[in-house]
Amino acid sequence: MDHKDRERVLVEVVQRVLDAYGHEAQHLEQVIFDTIFEERKRLETEPDRDRTLKQAHQYDRVHAEALHADPVRQRELLKGLIRTFADEIVGHFDSRVYGLATRAVPHGLNLLLNAMSPIKLARSLPNGLRDMDEHLDIIGHVDTVKDLAKRGTLVMVPTHLSNLDSILMGYAIYRMGLPPHVYGAGLNLFHNKLIGFFMHNLGAYKVDRRKKAYLYKDVLKTYAGCSMEIGYHNLFFPGGTRSRSGGVERRLKLGLLGMGLNAYVHNLIAKKTKPDVFFVPVTINYELVLEAETLIEDHLKEAGKGRYIIEDDEFSRPRVILDFTKKLFSMDSRIHIVVGHPLDVFGNCVDEHGRSLDHRDRPIDRTRYVLRDGVPVFDRQRDEELTRELAHEIVKSYHANTLPKSTHVLCTAVFQWLQERSPGMDLYRLLRTGGSEESMPMAEAYDRVERTLTALRRLSAEGGVLLDDELTRLDVPGVVSHALAHLSSYHRRPAAERRGDRLFHVDRNLLLYYRNRLAGHGLERGEVLQ
Amino acid sequence: MSVSDKAEVVVVGGGSFGTALAVILRDLGRGVRMWVRREEQADEINRERSNERYLPGRKLPEGIRATTDMKEAIRGVPVVLLVVPSKSFRSVAREVGEHLRGDQVLVHGTKGIEVETFRRMSQVLREETCALKVGVLSGPNLAGEMMAGHPAGSVVASRYDEVVRAVQRLFAGGHLRVYGGRDVVGVEVGGAFKNVIAIAAGVADGLGFGDNARSLLVTRGLSEMALLGVSMGGDVFTFGGLAGVGDLMATCASPSSRNHQVGEKIARGKSLQEVQSSSPFVAEGIPTTRAVHLRAKQKGLHLPITEAVHALLYEGKTAAEALSSLMALPVGDELSALRY
Repeated sequence: MDHKDRERVLVEVVQRVLDAYGHEAQHLEQVIFDTIFEERKRLETEPDRDRTLKQAHQYDRVHAEALHADPVRQRELLKGLIRTFADEIVGHFDSRVYGLATRAVPHGLNLLLNAMSPIKLARSLPNGLRDMDEHLDIIGHVDTVKDLAKRGTLVMVPTHLSNLDSILMGYAIYRMGLPPHVYGAGLNLFHNKLIGFFMHNLGAYKVDRRKKAYLYKDVLKTYAGCSMEIGYHNLFFPGGTRSRSGGVERRLKLGLLGMGLNAYVHNLIAKKTKPDVFFVPVTINYELVLEAETLIEDHLKEAGKGRYIIEDDEFSRPRVILDFTKKLFSMDSRIHIVVGHPLDVFGNCVDEHGRSLDHRDRPIDRTRYVLRDGVPVFDRQRDEELTRELAHEIVKSYHANTLPKSTHVLCTAVFQWLQERSPGMDLYRLLRTGGSEESMPMAEAYDRVERTLTALRRLSAEGGVLLDDELTRLDVPGVVSHALAHLSSYHRRPAAERRGDRLFHVDRNLLLYYRNRLAGHGLERGEVLQ
Repeated sequence: MSVSDKAEVVVVGGGSFGTALAVILRDLGRGVRMWVRREEQADEINRERSNERYLPGRKLPEGIRATTDMKEAIRGVPVVLLVVPSKSFRSVAREVGEHLRGDQVLVHGTKGIEVETFRRMSQVLREETCALKVGVLSGPNLAGEMMAGHPAGSVVASRYDEVVRAVQRLFAGGHLRVYGGRDVVGVEVGGAFKNVIAIAAGVADGLGFGDNARSLLVTRGLSEMALLGVSMGGDVFTFGGLAGVGDLMATCASPSSRNHQVGEKIARGKSLQEVQSSSPFVAEGIPTTRAVHLRAKQKGLHLPITEAVHALLYEGKTAAEALSSLMALPVGDELSALRY
């Protein structure tokens, strides 16, 4: 975001959030004290004492003053809090850095991933600096999205499995020839100095998920909305956080999604020539996931005790990232980014001319959804429901555009076998003990993988999932060994491994994790898998 | 024929319920259009002010303008009420979809389920039109009584407040009290499923079993309705309302209910074919029984009354056999299936 727009957006964000809280003393007081309460709670757990002390003093001052202030002064104090949050969130975009970064990325995405020296990195990779292009396939509605980028504001909404996602998406956006996108990145991404530098200058804004105050979330949402409104393409992960279970997102964060509609209505009211906002659901499909072990472990912790923010995972260790990418690349593993059919803010499909279409492919005049007596208006209840329609369509798109890999197929087949062998056994017990049998004959594994593949083919013919070329090219033993090679390459312990003519389950948490990618597709209920 | 430009609502479908709704709205002074399939029926409504086939002997108020031109019918009308049998619902909805705009409210009053797909009517509307503001109107609404101006109640359910308000505003001040709701699934399942139970109640009446038996069927039927509805995502409380127990009471007790008549006639020895060919009316309970039977089988739901009605309609069992098979079932706890 350039300097002029940055100022413009900041002013608008502060004013809108402030206006939303009105002028009433009781209301103002409540939001100020709630914010201070939440912030003090957060500061108690912050490691950086010097910084927290300064902030704590600032909050003490606001608190003391707010206790005796009249509504006019309270609004000023609230404005101060909003401004502080807004300043912290807003990133800036530097076209020179963007140029540098995008030139560097195709050859050295790995350089961005860790702060090691390029020479060391080059030596450690099997074929020197292999081109990232070889390992990343971008398929789907790329051309439509490129056309739409000229007609309105894009909002990329990918599935989220790994912290590598934002970097890959940043690169994919570049490779598709799209203008840079503004995106909210968790603070932990900024901790790595090099990544942080690029993040900051590539349009990323900071999201501190430890800040629980509603005011902070309002500022974040409003910032995203305002940037969409003035035409900055956005990227965010609507699942809110990396999928812990390994499954495809089913519930999306409606608040941030709703900012698309909000921006659209604002633009219609302002009679802008290009008022449109288009959502682009994207799935990112890995054969292996960098943080799989940590994420599934967190998922399996007792409900409510899971950590929403994980800062000490694989992503925080450059060595592990390096190891991961090295292994992945040396096995000729491909990462697929599938660009789904773009949607309007109501969830209707949009064609390359920017026209919304109904299920029968008839064009729709989308402005009419938000008209009342012929005039575009906001209506909170209506807009929430309309956003639900959008979320529903995005989730549908995620499922249809999931591209299962050999690891998912094998883990689905093995996990199902595991469950069938110990009927009625509680999931946690099954994961801990492995049930009654520790291995199965390879022939049975082949048979089960075959059945899973048949089910996937059927599902794919119905448009319920995509089929990887690899899965159609390889025969069943080929798929199994491809999967086993991956599973044993990077994780501390493999999900499953072959010894002689038998297949042993080893890390059952990982089995569950990779199998979950296909859960919700109807395979596990026996409807498709027979 | 040119259709009134000041219309506030269009009723799509010229059956008895649709016409009754048009009459109530016109009596309240609303600008009402009707879309009907046949030219002769449109002419009859416009010139003779009658709809003899569906509401024999009734005079329609002035000012209801009927047309067969869907484009003309729908243009500029804020609220579209779609009241056509479930069998032709999709094709009519598709026609509506050719002309409907996103700011128009689309509410249906069809108490059925699409047999082949088990889609609810509002789902069909989403597939066949661009409408997002979709709702359902359902309740104990026997057309004859409504036409006579007797008090009645109904519920309009939609996820959009705007839809609920628009329909309530239309009917405000009349003898049809329209309550609002959010549970579209529950209201649709209630409206469709009660027809299955009405057939069963008709059978009991046809066999001369009396009030105890009918009451047993109605309450156990309500349980089945709730079980099915909850399995589809409905709210269990909805079935205690107008679209659930309310509709069941009226349909199962009233000899003028079509579905009740179907059950009664079959119990007295007529075949399904004879019953169907003897009436111009569509008894929605017949296809709904089939649809629910298939769904229950697929999902493993235990719906014994539905099974008995299915056996009667489609498997050649006699009325006595079907009902006695119900009596032979083991007796469990009354509400066990619903405690979840």
